[in-house]
Order: sequence, then structure tokens, then C-alpha cells
Amino acid sequence: MGLITPLYDDLWNEYLVWSALVGLFTFGWLYHHSFFYRSEDGQNPNVDDLKVGVFPAHYDNMKLEITWTVVPFILIVYLTFISWAPLDNIWSAANEEDGFFGDECVVGESSNLIFNQSEGLYEADCYHEIGISGKQWVWSFDCYDLDADICDTGFAQIEGRDSPLISLKAGEAYLAIMTSEDVTHAPWFVSLGIKEDTQPGQVTTQWVLADEVEDFLLLCTEYCGDDHAYMIAGVNVHA
Amino acid sequence: MEKKTLITRSMVVLILISIAMVVSPAVNSLPNGIGYEQVKSGGCNCHNGVADTGVVVALDGLPEQYNVSETYELTISFTGGPSTDGAANLGGFNLWASGGEITPVDATVQSRDSSEVTHTEAGNDYRSWTVEWTAPSHGRNVDFVLHVNSVNGDGVQGPEDKWNRLSITVAGSLGAALDPADPFTVLATLIIISGILLVITILYGFYRTNPDAFDWEHLAPWITEWLTSTDHKKIGTLYFVQGMFFLGIGGILAMMIRLQLAGPEMGFISQDQYNQFFTLHGTTMIFLAAMPLIAGFANWIVPLQIGAPDLAMPRLNALSFWLQPFAALLIFTGVFSGEGADTGWTGYAPYIVTAGAHTGVTMWVAGQIMLVASSTLTGINFLTTMAVMRAEGMGWMQMPLFTWSILVANLMLFLSIPAFGVGLIQVYLDRTISTAFYDISAGGDPLLWSHLFWYFGHPEVYVVIVPAFGVISEVLATSARRSIFGYRSMVYALAGIGILSFIVYGHHMLTSGMSPTLRFVTMMTTMLVAVPTGIKIFNWLKTMHGGSLVYRTHTLWALGFIVTFTLGGISGMFFPSIAMDTHLHETYFVVAHFHYVLVGGTVFGFFAAIYYWYPKMTGRMLDEKLGTLHFLTAFVTYNGIFWPMHRLGVVGMPRRTHTYFITTEDFTNLPEWAADWNLFISVSAFLFFFSNFILVANMLLSLVRGDKAPADPWGGWSFEWMTSSPPPTPSFDWHNLPVLKDANEHIANEPGRVGKWFSRLMVPEDHEEVSH
Repeated sequence: MGLITPLYDDLWNEYLVWSALVGLFTFGWLYHHSFFYRSEDGQNPNVDDLKVGVFPAHYDNMKLEITWTVVPFILIVYLTFISWAPLDNIWSAANEEDGFFGDECVVGESSNLIFNQSEGLYEADCYHEIGISGKQWVWSFDCYDLDADICDTGFAQIEGRDSPLISLKAGEAYLAIMTSEDVTHAPWFVSLGIKEDTQPGQVTTQWVLADEVEDFLLLCTEYCGDDHAYMIAGVNVHA
Repeated sequence: MEKKTLITRSMVVLILISIAMVVSPAVNSLPNGIGYEQVKSGGCNCHNGVADTGVVVALDGLPEQYNVSETYELTISFTGGPSTDGAANLGGFNLWASGGEITPVDATVQSRDSSEVTHTEAGNDYRSWTVEWTAPSHGRNVDFVLHVNSVNGDGVQGPEDKWNRLSITVAGSLGAALDPADPFTVLATLIIISGILLVITILYGFYRTNPDAFDWEHLAPWITEWLTSTDHKKIGTLYFVQGMFFLGIGGILAMMIRLQLAGPEMGFISQDQYNQFFTLHGTTMIFLAAMPLIAGFANWIVPLQIGAPDLAMPRLNALSFWLQPFAALLIFTGVFSGEGADTGWTGYAPYIVTAGAHTGVTMWVAGQIMLVASSTLTGINFLTTMAVMRAEGMGWMQMPLFTWSILVANLMLFLSIPAFGVGLIQVYLDRTISTAFYDISAGGDPLLWSHLFWYFGHPEVYVVIVPAFGVISEVLATSARRSIFGYRSMVYALAGIGILSFIVYGHHMLTSGMSPTLRFVTMMTTMLVAVPTGIKIFNWLKTMHGGSLVYRTHTLWALGFIVTFTLGGISGMFFPSIAMDTHLHETYFVVAHFHYVLVGGTVFGFFAAIYYWYPKMTGRMLDEKLGTLHFLTAFVTYNGIFWPMHRLGVVGMPRRTHTYFITTEDFTNLPEWAADWNLFISVSAFLFFFSNFILVANMLLSLVRGDKAPADPWGGWSFEWMTSSPPPTPSFDWHNLPVLKDANEHIANEPGRVGKWFSRLMVPEDHEEVSH
């Protein structure tokens, strides 16, 4: 079932499987022991002979304890490992050899953004730069010199309010250059599963990978004051 | 009973009732529906900014007083305004009613929603229109607001185009509509009522101690004794009462938040108030409820468990406590002035120092500085006590696990809270004398606060959960009639969590724009936390193996804890995986996760502690039937609140927002079922809130008529079960301190290598000073 993006879904599904296994194992064990080892008469037997003022006899098993230190550790190493490539993907460096999204596109060039099924990662030939700036409590988008087909800004009526709108083209990769004019904000491209804080006096970046045609909301997810909940914008990804 | 006593007593009751009556009228109603305050008052700006009295508006067909649910035919008409020869005198209208339903009867009128109609394109050429109004069933007065345009019909907006407004109120049989209650008044009233209930409970407690001496002469010294006591048990009780009180206040705040979120775009709480409520909810629950509850049990149980007559520094202990209520007062000051802190419990800079943040923030910061002082003093006191006052025979590796958990928690707190203190003082100075630590234009760093806060904040959440681990270890082992499985690995796991807590905090800032290298490192370290936590969970489960589990209420809570805490632990594993975190960060998935850990972990753990140690503290057994009822209702409703939040977070519901958006034709956001689940969560939240009154009732009833508790009702081994229930003061005789025996004689009194090294850092354990 598609949740957010293929990149997110792959991780999510894998994590869910392991969560279910860990859950089944733990709760199965808990369920069994809570019934199988319950006291018959509600009091006895005092298995380890607990006595007031006496530190109880040790009850341990080095092999078992090492097992449930090492096995979870291996699982965690595995989960970290499978999180690695997607991490590289969404925090890919720009303009570098090993980046996933090439150099900045020249005028008229298209990104050809694709989701590489075998690698499970996004790839593009080149990217476009867009600007996002947060200000209490409105987003402003900047398309710099991009063609209106690639990037356009405007306004839309959302929930009865005039809200900023950014139009992007499906199949293009964008690098958002972000800052804030006052306090911390964070644009959440809900349907793309990405967010990153915008900080005053600093520049942060994030990859906006417009892979599917959809109109969705962009929400502010770093609390920024009175009108935080309504600091929204429309994102239009068109064909 | 003496007549004089009776009079005094009834006077007290009368005074309390009158205070309650004076206060309660402030809470007079529920809000009168969504959008009531948005009475159309703006007028028609499209033609001319100012209403024109030359246009005479009429709304006919309304009765003097309506009959409920009856349908009336209304005629809207106007005269006056521009009239151009040859063109019809054109116009339009908009009619809104605060109640009932307005429906169009022909094609000249269209409905906007059930409370509002306007003309259609075809209805543009008319001077009168007809609609039907079905009166509401509530019988309250209904306001009508009618706007009409009178234009010259040339299709061009100009100064000759006019409009006017008519407001009419139709009486209902029940009179004026009730004013919507101000949530602030509701909150303040509930806080005051809770305070009064607390006072009544305390007075009742005093009354029960000696029913024949219920007068001021006896009350004054009794209160003085509580206010000035340095006994660890009394201070523990004070902490406990404070913690329970603020658990209630934090709960009330949560209920108001859930009322607001019961449906999308509700208007119960204004945004401004909502922001203050979630800020105070977080601050209250962490600092004024969870921490005092832990400190309460630590005060009560740690000296008893290590065989010490009191804490090492009893006066310092009293100071630590008495800083708390005054800090609480400061934190809440803003609410009573309507300008409470609105920064979220994390208080991110630079918002916290901007002019936009409420004035109450300064007080909130000041209050927390006092809490920092309180926690630091507590840390010193407990660490010292555990280092120097353990009973003979009790090495580090023979301390009960609850004591160990308090040791680890206090070490973490002690090493992390100074950073928070520094941050708070910087913010305080920025806000009061205009220093520029967080003034970005003067070169301040917005991320400095985040680093200082989370360097403290992450150990802090472990400080809150680790003592619950200790409680569960005690409760489960005693209930299973077994030694805890892997005592030593439990201690190392606790210590491991303590150490890891300092190198994982960056996961709160994975999307903050801090150095990618740091973000990457914290992703890996965060994953590691699962290892020691896993050891603890598996050790608990293994403890039950081969045991003889006795089902008491505290056993149920301990088993429930394992379920909810494991779920919270599993959901925690999703965040360090960055490609998921960029989506899940700051959503309801996070809210679900940390409530599973903090409520399902800390609160459930301390519920278990209450059922486990209450007989020791009061000398009375709690009612097991009420306890089981409390567990069943609270456990089910609790999961009803937080489980659906996972899904809501994934589909796009952000936290800390006053509302949420359901997908419309134009833009995708939350699916429609999100609203239903939010309502479900709100209902569950109220049930959970009220279910906890079963616990309160149980504690009060058992205090009065519970069975007398024996010294060791559950068959535990540690020293607290050696004392009578309740224990004497001082808890152990200074000249006859207990001595711990060890069932593992071959290693008795021989701490391991780590223990020896650790001991060397501390004061020598026995009296064998170095000889000269």
C-alpha cells in the first residue's frame, strides 16, 4: 500500500515487519508466562526463597543475557544499514560526483527524476534551485529564473484563506534553499515525506523530489507563534 | 461530640462550599457552536467600504417569538440606492442566521451552508427574494444578519453602488443564547476547584487522624509540622501530593486540547489559548507531575531500601521540595493573566525571546530556573545518601534495583540539568535586560538553545522513565516470587542507558539544519539505546519464568507496563531512520510514541508503585477490586487515545497545531476518517481522565477503611519491608541499623571490579579509615 513516497514506503514496510516480529516474540512470551507461571493459591511457592533483609540468590544465565544483547544488536546494525542508503539519498550533496541529482540544470534541461526500483533510490540528471522563506506566518516561494512550467508561484484559496502556492513539474528534482526572516519554521511537504527547519540567519537545504502529479498542503511543523497552525501553503505538482 | 467542635467543623465546611459557589458560576456553559463569534460584521467591501442608510433593508415573515422546529417563509427586500433609467435596480443579498436552517425555495437563491444563503447569478436582478427558515430546536434567541447590495447594474464597481446591513434578533422561548465560555475561565476555575478539593482532602486527612480534635488549636501545629518537616517520609508525601495534583491539572489541560481537536477547525479554544495549553500541558506533566511523583517515591523508599534513617541532608531535601510549589506558581502565573507561556515545552529560540512570545514566558522561565535548582539539590542529596548511608552488608551491587534506578536517574539529571539552567538564564536575561544570546540580528545562534535544551532534554526523558524501570523490577520479581533475572545485567543496562542518553540527543534535531555529521552520528547512537532497553525487557520476562506469579493490582500494572513500553520502544526505532524521520518528525506519530513511553512507561510504572508501596506508606491495604477496575478501564482507554495517533501522524497530522485539515477537492491532506479517529481519541481521553479518579477514590477510601497492612504484605526482600507499616520516624534506629545478609554467600560483600573502582570514587564504605 502506498503511503508517502516509494523511498519512505520501502523503509516503513521493512521496519513494520521487524516490529511485528519483535512484538510477536515479546508479547507471545509475556502472554505465555503470565498464564503458565501464575501462582495457584495466590501466594506460594516462594520460588527463590525471598526473605526480608536478605539479598536474594542470584538468578542469571550468562549465555542467555549475552544472546539478548547480541541478537538485538545485530538487528539494530541491520536496521541502521538499510536506513543508510535512503539517508544518503535524501541528504545527497549537490554538485558532487557521488550525488544522486547531478549539477544544476541549464535552461531548458529536464531532471528526468526517476525512482530506481532496483536500488530503491531517487536519481536525476540535474536539479533546479528554488527558494523557500518562512516568516510569521506565511511562506514565500522563489522560483529564481526558472521557466513558469518548471516552477511558478501564486496564491490559492485554502480553508478560506489566501495562501501561497508553488507549482512544480512532476519528474523534476528541486533543491530548496531555505531561510527564515524571524523565528524557526519548518516546511513539511506532506505528500513527499520531507521537512527541514528554516532558521533565521542561516541557510538550510532540502531536496524536493516532485515525483507524482498531486495537489497537496505544505504545513509548518516547527512551532512559530500565534498563527502557526494556519501557516500553510499549496503545492501543485503538475504533469 | 462537643457542640463547639461541631460548630467549628460546620463553619469550615460552609466556608469551603461558599468559596466553591462563588467560583463555579464562572463556568456557565459550553460554547454555542462553531463560528458563532464570526458574526458577519465586515459588510460588503466589494462595492463601498461604508454602509449606506439610503438603502432600506427589510426581512419579513419572522415571528416575535418562534416555535421550535417550525418552518417560516421569509421575504428579503430593499428599497433605495442607485436607480438608472432603463436599467433595473439590481441587487444581491447575503443572509446568515445563528441558529436553525435556511433553505432556498427557488433558483434565485443558493445555500452556502445550512446557516447562510445568498443570491444566485440568476437572482442578481431582483429586489426581493424568498427563502425558508426552519427554526432550531434549542429554543434560544436567534440572530439574523442580512446584507444587501443596491447597484446600478452597469457591471462596473463604483461609488454609486450602495449596500446596507440589517440585524434582527428573534426571541426563542428560552431567552438569550448562552455566552460561550472562555476556556481560560474554565481552566482557571477547574484549577481553583481542584485546589479546593485538595484542601478539603487534606483537612479530611487531618480530621481522620483525630476526629475529636478538629479545631484550629490542633490544626495549626499539624500544618506547621507538615510545612517544616525534614522527615524523608513526610517530604515524600508532599512530593506525591504535588505530583498527583499536577497530574490532574495537566490532565485538565489535555482534556481542553482534546475538546479543541475533537473535530477539524473547531472554535472551542482560540489559537492563542491553544498554544498556551499545550505548552503548559507539557511543562506541567514533565516537571510538575512526573518529576515530583518520582521524587516522592525516591524520598519515601530509597532511605528505607538502603537501611538509612533519613536522607544525608534532610534540610536540603526540604528546600528542594519547597522550591517546587513556588516554581509551579510562577509557571502558572501567566495563565491567570491571560498571557501564559506559548512556546511549547521545548521553548525553541529565537521565538522564545521575540516580542511575539507572551509576557508569561518570563515567569515560566523563572519558574523552571527554580526547578533546576530543586533538581540539582535533590541530585546531590540522593547521590550522597546512597554513597555513604547504605546499611552494613549492602555493596553497590546489592542495592535494590529501584534504588539503583534513582541513582542512575540522579546522575543523569545532575550532569545534564546545568546545561538547561544556563540556557534558561540566557533566555531570562534576553527577555529582561535585553542581552543578545538569541538575538539573531546581533549574531545570536538559534541552534544554541536547541543544543542546550536537548543535551538536558533527552537525559531528562530517561530520568523520568528509568525510575519506572526500577519499580517494575521490584514489583515483577516480588510478584513472581523470584529473584530478578540477571540483577547485574539489569544494573549495567541501567548504567548503559544513562551513558547513552548523553550521546543521542541530536536525534531531536535531525531536521534542524545542524551539522550533517552530528546528525548522522546521533542516528547511529540512537539506534543503540534499544540494546540496553531490550536487555531489561527480556530480563523481566525471564524473571517470570519458573516463577509463581501472584496477581495483584501492581502485578497487572507491571505487565501492562511491559506491553505499552515495548510498543513505545518499537515506535521509537522509526525515528532515527532519517528518511522516515523527515516525514514523521513533529507529527502525531511522535506524540503517540512519547505518550506510549511516558504514560505507558512512567505513569503506569508509578501506578504500579502506588499499589505496591501504598500499604507501606499508610499502613492500609488498597482495595484490589477497585484497583483491578482502575487497571482495566485505564489500560483500555489509554490505548484508545494513543494507538490511533500513530496512523494520524503518518497520514499527515502535525503536532502543536490548533486544527487539522481534511482533504478537499483542491488539496490533499488528511483523509476524512482522520476526523472520526480524532473524535474517538477525544472520547477515549475523557474516559481515561475519569478512570484515574478510581485510583484517587481507592486511595482515599482505603485510607479510611482499608485493612491494616502488615509489615511485608507482598513478601519482598528489601529493607523497607522490615519496618512497620507505616514506618516510624526516624525510619531506622540510629543505634540499631539493619544489616543486609546475602543469599549468595560466596560473593557476599564483594563488589565486582567495576563496583570496586566506583567505590573508590566515593567515600569509604566502612569505618576502616586509612591508618596512620
